[in-house]
Amino acid sequence: MNFLQRFTTGTSGNTARSSILKEKSIKTVFFCTAFFAIIVIIFILFFLFLDGYPVFEQVGIANFLFGTSWTPTAAVPAYGIFPLIVGTLLVTLGAMVIAVPLSLGCAIYVSELASPRVKKILKPAIELLAGIPSVVYGFFGLIVLTNFIRISCDIPTGETWLAASILLGVMALPTIISVSEDAISSVPREFKEGSLAIGATRWQTISKVIVPAALSGIAAAIILGIGRAVGETMAVMMVAGNAAIIPHPIWNVLSPIRTLTGTLGIEMGEVSVGSLHYNALFGVAIVLLVITLIINLSAVAILRHLRERGTTRQKRTPLITPERKESLKRFAEVSGITILMIFILIATPWWCVILFLLAGVVWYYIREQISQKHIEKLAFALIISAAVIVLAILVIILQDIIINGLPAISWEFLTQPPRDLGRAGGIFPAIVGTLYLVIGAIMIALPLGVGAAIYLVEYTREGRITRLIRTGVDLLNGTPSIVFGLFGFAFIVLFIGTGVSLIAGQITLALMVLPTIIRTTEESLKNVPQALREGSLALGATKWQTIRMVVLPPAVPGIVTGAILSIGRAAGETAPIMFTAVIFSSRFLPDSVFQPVMALPYHLFILATNIPGSSTNKYGTALVLLILVIAFYSVAIVVRNHFQNKIRG
Amino acid sequence: MSDTPIISGHNLNLWYNDTHALQSISIAIREKRVTALIGPSGCGKSTLLRCFNRLNDLIDHVKITGEITFGDMNIHAPGTDVVHLRKRIGMVFQKPNPFPKSIYDNIAYGPRVHGTKEKKELDRIVEKSLRDAALWEEVRDRLADSALGLSGGQQQRLCIARTLAVGPEVILMDEPCSALDPIATAKIENLIEILKKNYTVIIVTHNMQQAARVSDYTGFMYLGKLVEFGETRQIFEHPSETLTENYITGRFG
Repeated sequence: MNFLQRFTTGTSGNTARSSILKEKSIKTVFFCTAFFAIIVIIFILFFLFLDGYPVFEQVGIANFLFGTSWTPTAAVPAYGIFPLIVGTLLVTLGAMVIAVPLSLGCAIYVSELASPRVKKILKPAIELLAGIPSVVYGFFGLIVLTNFIRISCDIPTGETWLAASILLGVMALPTIISVSEDAISSVPREFKEGSLAIGATRWQTISKVIVPAALSGIAAAIILGIGRAVGETMAVMMVAGNAAIIPHPIWNVLSPIRTLTGTLGIEMGEVSVGSLHYNALFGVAIVLLVITLIINLSAVAILRHLRERGTTRQKRTPLITPERKESLKRFAEVSGITILMIFILIATPWWCVILFLLAGVVWYYIREQISQKHIEKLAFALIISAAVIVLAILVIILQDIIINGLPAISWEFLTQPPRDLGRAGGIFPAIVGTLYLVIGAIMIALPLGVGAAIYLVEYTREGRITRLIRTGVDLLNGTPSIVFGLFGFAFIVLFIGTGVSLIAGQITLALMVLPTIIRTTEESLKNVPQALREGSLALGATKWQTIRMVVLPPAVPGIVTGAILSIGRAAGETAPIMFTAVIFSSRFLPDSVFQPVMALPYHLFILATNIPGSSTNKYGTALVLLILVIAFYSVAIVVRNHFQNKIRG
Repeated sequence: MSDTPIISGHNLNLWYNDTHALQSISIAIREKRVTALIGPSGCGKSTLLRCFNRLNDLIDHVKITGEITFGDMNIHAPGTDVVHLRKRIGMVFQKPNPFPKSIYDNIAYGPRVHGTKEKKELDRIVEKSLRDAALWEEVRDRLADSALGLSGGQQQRLCIARTLAVGPEVILMDEPCSALDPIATAKIENLIEILKKNYTVIIVTHNMQQAARVSDYTGFMYLGKLVEFGETRQIFEHPSETLTENYITGRFG
């Protein structure tokens, strides 16, 4: 690299000085865009702490974290968030119990068993599942899932821990599936061939070679799924019941429950600014941020470690010797079974216990006799049913919303403002408002994100500064959307003083999608072969000329894909705009960016939770939002596939 | 010296999508001999090799006609037990592909998946396989270390040992030395010389000297056809086809 740079500056002759100046200023601009991510993180932390600090001072950190009573509006208010922390952990745990087996089965199916044709259906289906906005999940959960639970469990309300966990589990599916599928697919083909060539069955190859080799990637996938579940607001808030209690007994999944995010979503809109309650909510946001940051950074660390291991193959003695590994395994097995037994003994009637025991004993004796072929058949059946279940979930959700939503769609619905609190009339201002919001957000985020990515990939070698910036981006990426909402409210709405307005929402959404844009741009820049850059530099082109004429053109499809995906995501988000940009019902479109707007997701949220008797319009709004978001996603997928084929062919 | 072939192919054709990659190939592999397949890149020699243990099954859109028999087993018959077939016909790949496990676990993997559980028996198999692959002395003190820490040549001998541990009758080798330096290559070639006492070896190679050094029979392939097949000495000294002669004398390829 150095040699090339010297070579190019040598050839540029008389114009060298001005061109060097130009190159330097361009580099500075890119550096600033990259550093912006860091500034944003610092600002977020600063403003959260500024507004959250009083609660730590007045209530005390220990009382705040471990106090068991959260009654901020009572005559004698109490600010103990322990039930909220427990609630968050329990809901996430439940979600993982549901999501992990389904996702792993599905990931194994997609990467190892599915025929190309099935893959072609299943992969977009999973991406579609990821594209459904969280408020639509919440809506579906509220209308269908909670009713189902209420009736089948015969309890007064279905808004429970169970409902929240099922919904969050479904929402975490796409993340876990796609990351672990990546991990499984990138296990070198040679391992698979080597194992099959020895005469191992496909299932032995999968379970003993492929999955172990992909294990750290799978772990990262699960951690990312946990991060997604912990940070989710709207869906949980709509189905969890939101009583700030610790379930009793602790495994009572039919108890209502409240999470950290849910608390912010419910109370932030009604709190008086500057009160202790207001400060306490920022305290909650800090706790939430810390939890998600730890989760996401550990996932990122694992994934990065994996990528580095791929390039440098170093000799290292294993930390755990085989003997110790054996005994650890045995210990884990025994303790796992014991815990399971205790749980079953407490939670289920006696005949269940006997059934489990019998099954265990039978399995233990039969295990030796069953041939590998039968084990394989059983395993594949389970894997395939996981994939079928995932597909079925998607079909059920889509079918419910489409069938119930279609009757609402009419020319009037799409072009008229709402009447009678949204029970009648249309959603035109909400559609326009959502478009304004996402277009503004992308116009802010795209230049910043692309600039930052160019700086990271083209102008620096891995060093302290890039590591700092990358960490900043990762932190930003892991921040729950509700925290962006709080930050936007505290900083843009109040501190800068825009009031609740379009521009505040646009900026908040822009900050939220910034990391996605940086990531996808970085990826597509890295995919441009180094040889192209060297070829251009060797002809005497400057760095900026090389970037502009050689590096950027092939990267454009990737950047465009990233941008469209971000638009789709921003269009479906509720939490960031809830306190910064939206009003519920308006007959008019905004005249300037300093006025509030209507937005589809927020409109749906209010209709679903606060306006009884708006059934058709609810479904209609959900359908329009879904179509809008899915349209963005499908455009992105089409663009990506088109260019992928072009590159391959 | 038995002259009955252990593997024989009749009128074998293979298509990848629309590409006719193998064209009416008939070949007879002799037991406990080394057979080399040579030819320029893309001539189908690796594809042919992968037909013998049905590893082409892993690739989508492959169509095969014709017949290959192994003993009394029809390799491509729908009812063939692929797992059993691959146990009897082992394979060593172009790039060494040890699993990301310890040296011991790599060798023990095969016997384990085939149901051997007893530690003593596994120990015995691991040691014997490593000895047979001429690797035992180099790794006996670090069996618990990761196999990825071995050198390329050692990794390749580990893969050979891994194949031997299952007790195959035939060993397929797909350019086993192409990723190795000359010294490591020489070690593998010596090993092949020893292996042929007990095993039938089929080796695909780019290196004509290697084919001449290690093999008893040689097949020359070109554009999906088996142009000439016969005893190595005859192929290299008096080829009957001009195409073969041109390739061997380096006029193309």
